[in-house]
Amino acid sequence: MDLSLLMSQFLSGLSRGMMLFLIASGLSLIFGVMNILNFAHASLWLAGAYFCHSFWLLMEEYGFALWVSIPLAGLVMAGIGWFIEVVLIRRVYNRSLPEQLLLTYAMVLIIGDLIKISWGVEDRIIVRPPEVAGPVFFFGIPFDSYFIFVILVGVAVAIGLWLFLQKTRYGHIVRAAVFSREMVSALGIPIPRIYTGVFVMGIFIAGMAGAVQAPVGSITLGMDMAVIIQAFCVVVIGGFGSLLGTLVGSIIVGEIYAFSILYWPQGALVLIFVVTAIILIVRPWGLFGTPMRA
Amino acid sequence: MKRYGWFLGLIFVFALVLPLLVGEFWIHVAVEILILGLFAVSFNMIFGYMGQLSFGHAAYYGVGAYVTGMLMVKAGVPLPICLAASMIGAGICAFIIGYFCVRLTGIYFAILTMAFGQMIYYIIFKWYSFTGGDDGLQGIIAPGLLFSANGYYYFTLFITVLALMVMWFISESPFGYTMRAIRDNADRTRFVGINVRRYMLINFVIAGMFAGLAGALWGPFNRSIAPDLTNWHQSGTPVFMTVIGGPFGFFGPMLGSVIYTFLFAFVTGFTEYWPLIIGLVIIFVVLFVPGGVLGFFESRMEGLRSRRSRSPKPEESTP
Repeated sequence: MDLSLLMSQFLSGLSRGMMLFLIASGLSLIFGVMNILNFAHASLWLAGAYFCHSFWLLMEEYGFALWVSIPLAGLVMAGIGWFIEVVLIRRVYNRSLPEQLLLTYAMVLIIGDLIKISWGVEDRIIVRPPEVAGPVFFFGIPFDSYFIFVILVGVAVAIGLWLFLQKTRYGHIVRAAVFSREMVSALGIPIPRIYTGVFVMGIFIAGMAGAVQAPVGSITLGMDMAVIIQAFCVVVIGGFGSLLGTLVGSIIVGEIYAFSILYWPQGALVLIFVVTAIILIVRPWGLFGTPMRA
Repeated sequence: MKRYGWFLGLIFVFALVLPLLVGEFWIHVAVEILILGLFAVSFNMIFGYMGQLSFGHAAYYGVGAYVTGMLMVKAGVPLPICLAASMIGAGICAFIIGYFCVRLTGIYFAILTMAFGQMIYYIIFKWYSFTGGDDGLQGIIAPGLLFSANGYYYFTLFITVLALMVMWFISESPFGYTMRAIRDNADRTRFVGINVRRYMLINFVIAGMFAGLAGALWGPFNRSIAPDLTNWHQSGTPVFMTVIGGPFGFFGPMLGSVIYTFLFAFVTGFTEYWPLIIGLVIIFVVLFVPGGVLGFFESRMEGLRSRRSRSPKPEESTP
């Protein structure tokens, strides 16, 4: 096995991991703060990809089409996320876990069909702008330049989220809410507003991630179903509510996939679930989580 | 629940004469109701009685379906033996998986059962030489008398009623009440000297075995099986049925299966957007009818009865 193949496999695993990180970071944050596991996260991610395609189509003749469409899709999804939070999620804050899960699961079905109604069943393809169309060379190894872009976006979001959580007042409140909601509430901080803010932020990142994913391959109905389960695995491995954990978990899952595809293609996805199950059995709160709410 | 005895008898008689009343299409729907209802009732052994959400219950359903399917197609084993083998196969799977799952509760239990379920799905999906992979398994034909729609209907009815009776006795036995105790307060149950994990594991295996039985019945009915039977969407079906019907009653999931399957047969007749409809139904039930249809009617009847008699009934321990 030569080094160049390992290197390119590592980079593709990294880009895959970063893609998962973009989805899982919002999922983890929402669960950490609101204690709601959002099944529909990947469905909103997919909706972001479709929105990106529509915006891109409108501006097709301009060179900047994709670069404008990505944040635009994120913003639209943030609006939709706000609507969902206020209309639906808010009603189940105090409900039991299965009820909350079912509500978001029902959203998966509804959003899936709404996407089908709005955009039809044909696959959508975004033609990449010339900046990211060709390969780039690392030590003479060709590598898809768009994957580099994906990795950069992942790193940027990770740093941005870290700065937000560590350096801003609002971020401190969010971190405190992960630790103890009761205490935050006792300090006079309106918890529902924090919840809404976190949810909208998570969906904004997910929508943008969908838009970033869109030009990787074709946009297909049902993509969300496979992705959401892998995002769950990432969050479980890293630990709910931990940003660092989500980052590490994403890279682990991405690399497991990239390397097992090389050596044992049938087992790639099985292996991800084996690792997830082992973590859950040995350390249910994940690599970087804190053992708290069961 | 005893006071509904006459009502259950009436439904059973109705089920017996059903083939005289309706055509073959609705007999197929009825078989589906029975199989999925059995699946949902077995799921509720974990959800309603043990208080844990299993999101990988389709794994045992699928394993049951594959054991029967492969024994029939590859070895020509008679159907009754296949059903028993399916229960054993699914039970073994549930034992191995449950051994780890009962160590966790709440969200972690749900995700671990799901992770194991997905493992089984991908194993069946990728193991072409053994399971046929995503081509599935075709030509699972029920023998002789059972080949006709009515024949298979009566067979399914017989097996389902038998299985329901066994599960009913389990749920009303001291074991069943131990499960309720664990659901309501696992710590206190442990304090009185009950090995909570062992009881949970036994319950998990029983639930898995009956899910396997339901899966075994599915193959000869559908004449083919596919790995999708074990995928996580399939695990959602019994959850939906149970929540629609009501988890706090033995027959709630069965009622849920009737509503769900009828709705499915009806809605898919004129639109392809079935997920949209069922999604809206689920949201409606979760937001406005938290106890499910059965819970809704029971609270209504309680209300009527107490208004009539003016004497508060003692707190009833419905499952």
